[in-house]
Order: sequence, then C-alpha cells, then structure tokens
Amino acid sequence: MKTQMRPNSGQKQKSAAAKEITQNSDLLQLLVDSIKDYAIILLDTDGNVLTWNSAAERLKGWKAEEIIGQNFARFYPVEDVEKGKTKMELKVASEEGRFEDEGWRVRKDGSRFWANVVITALRDKNGELRAFGKVTRDLTDRRQNEEKIKKQAQEILEMATVPVVQVWEGIVLVPLIGTLDSQRTQQLMERLLHRVTETGSPIALLDITGVPTIDTQTAQHLIETISAVRLLGAEVILTGVRPVIAQTLVHLGIDLTNVITRSSLTAGLRMALTILKLDVAPLKTL
Amino acid sequence: MNADSISVIKVRDILMVTMPPDPDDPTVSALQDKVLSAMERYEAKGVVLDISSVETLDSFFARTVSETAQMVTLMGGRTIIAGMRPAVAVTATEIGLTLGNIETALSVDRALDMVTSKPRSKKLQ
Repeated sequence: MKTQMRPNSGQKQKSAAAKEITQNSDLLQLLVDSIKDYAIILLDTDGNVLTWNSAAERLKGWKAEEIIGQNFARFYPVEDVEKGKTKMELKVASEEGRFEDEGWRVRKDGSRFWANVVITALRDKNGELRAFGKVTRDLTDRRQNEEKIKKQAQEILEMATVPVVQVWEGIVLVPLIGTLDSQRTQQLMERLLHRVTETGSPIALLDITGVPTIDTQTAQHLIETISAVRLLGAEVILTGVRPVIAQTLVHLGIDLTNVITRSSLTAGLRMALTILKLDVAPLKTL
Repeated sequence: MNADSISVIKVRDILMVTMPPDPDDPTVSALQDKVLSAMERYEAKGVVLDISSVETLDSFFARTVSETAQMVTLMGGRTIIAGMRPAVAVTATEIGLTLGNIETALSVDRALDMVTSKPRSKKLQ
C-alpha cells in the first residue's frame, strides 16, 4: 500500500502545486491589474510598450490599444528624449539590472506629472534579455506637498526673524517669540543694532514674554545682544521676565545684575520713559 | 598711517578725540599719550572718543581704550565712546571684547549731552 501510495500522492502533490502556481499566477495578474498607485508597463527590448496595467492607463491617459507598440519615449518630455534620456535609461537598466529615476513625465494631454520610475531588465534563465518592466508612480502630490512644506518653513523662518519696532522717539521694542537659537540671536543682534543706529534710539526694550524657556545658552545669547547694544551707546531693558523665567535664571546662576530687567513690558516702557526724562500724564480736560 | 591721524580738539571743557577708519597699533598707542597729555594741558572735564569711522576693532584697541578711560578717570575726567558701528559691535561681542565700564553714546551729540549733564549712575534700577 505504502509503495503504491507514494507515487500517487507525489503526483497529487505535484498537480496541486501546479494548480496552486496557476492560481497564484492568476492572482498575480489580478494584483497587477488592480493596483492603483503603480503604473506597471512591460516594454520590449527596444522600449516599445508590450502591455500595461489599468493604473498605467489612468496615469498616462492613453488607452492600451493606442499605446501598445509605441515607444515609451512618448511618456517623456521632448527635451529629455532629445537628450537621449530614454535610451540611456534602457542601457543602464540592461547593464545594471535596474534603473531608478525621479522626474517629470508627460500624459497624453501634454500635462506633466512628477514620477518615480523604476525600470527593471527582465532576463530569462540563460541571461537573455527578454523585456523591461517599468513601474511608475505618480508623486506629484508628494512633490507639491514637499514644496508647500518648504515654502511654509521658509515663511516661518522669515516670520521668526525678529521685528524691531520703534514705539516712541528714542525707544525701540523687540518682542521675542519662540526659542532663541544662535542663528536667530545673530539676526536679532544685527537687526537690533542697525535699528538702534538708524533711529538713534538710546533705549531698546527686549521683551521675552513670548520666550517659553530660557537655558544657559539662550541667556548667553541675550547677554551678548545686550552688551553689543551697549557698545553702541544705547541701553537695553529686558522685559517680560515671568516668575518661571526669573526662577530659571537664578537657578542657572546667570548673572543679570548689570541688566535692567522688568517683569512686564509696561514697567519696562515706564522705565524707558523715565530714563528719557519723559512723563506720561492724563489729559487735563477743562 | 601715523599718530597725526588722531585728532584731539578741545571744545569748551571737553576733549573731542576722533579716530581714523582703520587705526594700526602705533596709532592706537599714540591715542593714550595724546589724550593724557591733552587732559593735563586743558584740565578737561571729559573725553569724547568718536569712533564712528572705525571699521575694525581689535583687542589691542579695546584694551588701550579701556585703560585710557581708567587713566582719564584718575585724572578727574569722564570718557564716553561715541558712534560705534553696528558691525563693529557685533564683531566685538563675538570675540568677547568688552570696554569695561566705559560709557557709550549713540553719537557725539548725545555724548556731549551726557558730559554736560550729571554723571548717570551705572545702575539704573
């Protein structure tokens, strides 16, 4: 029984395996057709389209029957084709096995999209080049997002450059918001010094109400800024020293005894007016 | 450049000292002698050092100015540095230069105001 069973079961297993392979191959075909995000294109060794999946149709805008047999250079901007980019891509893919690129590609209607392209050389068991597989992904959204983020980051950076406002003849105000790093301090120092000289203001109010925390480095940066302003001949009043900030400064052992500090901007402004020998009085109504 | 490029002019009871744009070491050394001898000669109340044209400030210059200011104080005068350029102040701060306790003014005009008014207390609080 056993000896008889063996070849039988072996055959059964084989046919089951074969069936499984056919089934899997069907599933693979289904996968290729159902995939929405990747255009999968089969090219012959010259780069002519043999077949492609539905995602490619959607992405490129061509109907399968329109494009089959055409060279894949149709997907590229004219200037790239003229530069020999498509030929180069196939050459690299056949020599190195694969080629990857990110760049502009063209749809049927002429509109462009930003694509990630991978071309893979398909070789049989004997190493004979049979075809190329091309997988293209539309990254236009990602690229647009990246550009948007870049732009926003730039805007934030520009906003973060500290405004220096003249609040009174002889008084400039710097409302500091956010964390102070070396780069910002540098900008702050340069702008403040220029504004102080430009406006001839003997008083600069440095308001740190909007600074969340102060560490040794930040404090050092502030002290540097203050001493630079003093070299010009102006005085700095550090305002907006909240209880938390005051505690931190003392705990860190930062010596600000030579700096005029006030808890609020109002107090600082009053101090500034006093130094300038100015007085704010209510209007006398008759 | 020589020591003559420093001008020391007596205006009323104040010495107006003007520095050239790019003072070299001998010029800086000459500054001290000139200022001190002028202090002795005119018994001036104060010295206004105009550095508005100075484009570079090195440690030697800073030290000399700081020392001279102390000497002027010993001789009964006040020293006010006037018109430092922003770029100079930035460099000075970056390399950690300080001018000690010397008073500074935005311009010669303001410096003159300061000398003629009562000495401002160092600590304003």
